[in-house]
Amino acid sequence: MPKKYNVEVVPTPPRYIPIGKFEIERGEDCINCGRCAIVCIYEVHKRQDEDLRCMAEPVEYRCKGCFSCVQECPRATLTIREGTDYSRLGDSYWTPEIISTNWYQAETGKIPVSGAGYRGPFSGEGFDSMWTDMSEIVRPTRDGIHGREYISTVVEIGRKLPAIKFDSQGEIVSHIPPTLNVPLPIIFDTLPFGRFENVYGAIAKAASYLDTFMIVDADGAWFKGEGRKERGGERREKGEGRKARGGKSHLIPYISQPTLHSFDVDLIKACKMVELKYEEDVLSVVNEVKTLNPGSIISVRVPFGDNVEEIVEELTYGGIEVIHLYADLNGQTFGKSLIKNASQQTFRKSLLINDMTQNVHRHLVDFKIRDDVTLIVSGGIAMAEHVAKVIICGADLTAIDLPLLFALECRYCKDCQEDLACPVELKDVNPEWGAQRIINLIGAWRNQLIEILGAMGLREVRRLRGEMGRAIFLEDIEKDTFDKVFAMEVSYDAND
Amino acid sequence: MPTIKKAPSRFPNEICEIEVQRDISKCINCGTCAKVCPFGVHERKTGYNRVSKTLSYLCIGTSCEDKPFYCVNHCPRGALSLGVSSEYRTIGDYRWTRDLIIGTWKQAETGIPLKGQRYEIGNSGGGFDRISFNFQDGEGRGENGAEDMAHKSGAISTEIDLNKREGKKISIKVPFYGGGMSFGSISLSVMLAKAKAARAWGTFTCTGEGGYPEALKEYDDNVITQVATGLFGVMEDTIQRVKIVEFKYAQGAKPGLGGHLLGDKVTVEVARMREAISGSSLFSPFPFHSVYSVEDHKKHLDWIKELNPDAIISVKVSTPTDVDMVAVGSYYAGANIIHLDGSYGGTGAAPDIAKKNIAMPIEYAIPKVHEFLKQEGLRDTMTIIASGGIRTAHDALKAIALGADGVVIGTVELVALGCVRCGNCESGRGCPRGIASTDPELSKAIDLEWGAQRLINLYAAWRGEIVDVLKRFGMKSIEELVGRYDCLCYLDEGA
Repeated sequence: MPKKYNVEVVPTPPRYIPIGKFEIERGEDCINCGRCAIVCIYEVHKRQDEDLRCMAEPVEYRCKGCFSCVQECPRATLTIREGTDYSRLGDSYWTPEIISTNWYQAETGKIPVSGAGYRGPFSGEGFDSMWTDMSEIVRPTRDGIHGREYISTVVEIGRKLPAIKFDSQGEIVSHIPPTLNVPLPIIFDTLPFGRFENVYGAIAKAASYLDTFMIVDADGAWFKGEGRKERGGERREKGEGRKARGGKSHLIPYISQPTLHSFDVDLIKACKMVELKYEEDVLSVVNEVKTLNPGSIISVRVPFGDNVEEIVEELTYGGIEVIHLYADLNGQTFGKSLIKNASQQTFRKSLLINDMTQNVHRHLVDFKIRDDVTLIVSGGIAMAEHVAKVIICGADLTAIDLPLLFALECRYCKDCQEDLACPVELKDVNPEWGAQRIINLIGAWRNQLIEILGAMGLREVRRLRGEMGRAIFLEDIEKDTFDKVFAMEVSYDAND
Repeated sequence: MPTIKKAPSRFPNEICEIEVQRDISKCINCGTCAKVCPFGVHERKTGYNRVSKTLSYLCIGTSCEDKPFYCVNHCPRGALSLGVSSEYRTIGDYRWTRDLIIGTWKQAETGIPLKGQRYEIGNSGGGFDRISFNFQDGEGRGENGAEDMAHKSGAISTEIDLNKREGKKISIKVPFYGGGMSFGSISLSVMLAKAKAARAWGTFTCTGEGGYPEALKEYDDNVITQVATGLFGVMEDTIQRVKIVEFKYAQGAKPGLGGHLLGDKVTVEVARMREAISGSSLFSPFPFHSVYSVEDHKKHLDWIKELNPDAIISVKVSTPTDVDMVAVGSYYAGANIIHLDGSYGGTGAAPDIAKKNIAMPIEYAIPKVHEFLKQEGLRDTMTIIASGGIRTAHDALKAIALGADGVVIGTVELVALGCVRCGNCESGRGCPRGIASTDPELSKAIDLEWGAQRLINLYAAWRGEIVDVLKRFGMKSIEELVGRYDCLCYLDEGA
């Protein structure tokens, strides 16, 4: 059994007072009786330190919305409502719930656990249109005495040969392509904003601790300056430098204009993997890089757009080992696909990454080349469940972006994109603090992934890839069950 | 029929839709409002300088506007106004909307069913919330004339048999029983209130997996005891004293995970009952570590039958894609009841990722199992009980029309006792409202008699609604509704 991979989480409080879900208002009618302070078990209500005769302003961010104070107040003078700052967080994809649970995980490193049943919509678009399966009786993955049995989250990046050939002497004659083991199916993607030195520093430290990778713009100032130290080009400290030189680099330089780029041999040799933006003649660049360092793994970053299946197929046949497919920040893909609706009419619609990932995966399976290439999928991966679901849809691993910033307290107000001041001063984060917050977040995500795997009776995440038969898709199950149930139905019209 | 008695909220300020707002900078405490309001919203106590706080929940709302006693019109200073209360806007979620919560409270207070779609359907946009009844016309017209007789005599049966196999016959008077909530996840008085209501209505409640508190002993005939994967508090004696034993493989809210009781809630009392150490989190394993096959499963059921030959056995499972196979397996292992717990079910503590994502909602699982058992020729020997998101009597009826014999309820009982579904029952001192908590201070909040009465009232309202719907379909027994897909219709998206 491999050495147990463990993410050590350390509670790391936020720097700023968090935005709570509720606002509480104390009316003028308050008689300072202190009943609220007695009934509240979350210490929202307290007396003023300066004047014990008066009640202090409620500490709103601690409120958990139990309504006890409101209902017990003898003057009925307390009111509760959902906070405006809270409801304005993020947008319709990156909802306030998503942002605040990521904050919680970055602070505590714990899986979000709560009481009462699920409270959200029945289903929704994209990842919300599928459920993962579980096994009732067989395939236990946990042991009552020894705790959870080891569930591996290791994924391999690179080409996997279907078989190895040997010569008559028993020597391997197949060319074994280079591969990288990542202990969890999550790497860190380039950032849409918040590209500050300290932020990069925090993410790089977290990547190094977690033994995963960070994709970073090769032409960016951080990579050229500070990043050089991180990848071992310069020695910062004696020990650290030596360690880094031993191939411990966790950076994946991203080259946005590969055909115009002049490749630096040192850079290629220092990094285990390089990512190139997709261009028509990207394959020629790949050969150039491979000549510089046959051991380096090259990933091509391809947008989820029109004909993505064919592009992936072509690249795979062309020898590319890793393809990073990306959608926009909200998981929306760029092209329009031909869709057939229930009445067999076709129309074009932009798909979400769950569907597009399935299409690409199936295409590769049909051509029997799925294991020739590793698929990294990114765009709109907002919660731990998305990691599991995108892997079920056919990805090998994911790359995440915004959640990394949320770990650093980002509120996704987008002010920085308009050159306004950041309310949480992202540029001033302490890299150590930030790294721990990211480690906590990833630790919590990984544990949730393990919960899903455990429920399915799987012992390794590699087995999850493309396991669409172990998922329940809304469209299929509606058809399978409700077509039968409502077949006798004369009219589907709601206005009957 | 148990007695229905009014059981008002235990809070001084009940949350309600319309709030009577008083601008205290304008109010001169003249007491005119108290004189005009016939509902007691306003009170002007003699000897006090000020008008008492307004009791908005007694207000009849905007329908008062054209009444001669409308306080807003009478106030000489224009200090009063009606508005939607901030609490009403804040409470509730997609599955349990504000109206479902407040409606459940009202039914638990009065015992009278509430009419109107907002008290019958949630806002989740799928499943039960998109299924509605296919009433052919205003009032029910029968197919065979028998229901006319039923109408006249008022004899509409809501009784169901729980055991369709050989052995002891057990039936319940209403087509629902209380779900397993363990001592530890909820307080003893809540458990007892549930048991008392179950006895009054001739149905059952379930201990959950946290042991069998002594105080429940007098309700033995109405208690189901649970044997779950953690085997907490399972004793020979507890198995021998009950009529139904429930084998819990999984729970809908956390399929494939096993029970969670976080350390904070493992008080000395709870630990003693579970034979564990206080303060340490108790996670039940998943699955049963001695059950890897139907044969192993049978061995366990045989062991129960050996201890208590009269007991009937329910097998509680969650809803994976092969739930139909699991149901058949349970039949061959000797189970009498297959209890399906859908993925949107209640819990005292579960990882959010599990609640939302693992296994299928109950609406799909019921017809799947119902059809498969029919196909295998076993439907008449197995009782299907559904749970996991049954919020209203309408949900229960829909579940039955989809193919279940009856349902299990849980969250709705806690809502009846004043739960607002804030979702904080999992840690710390537990429920801030004293329902799902064993904290010595907090759990005093629920008075056993009051709690039992609230549940008795709720059951009465549910039964009333069930009888009404059966009447409209012209049926004389709930058993006629089982699997009657034609009684349901599916609403278009966005309807």
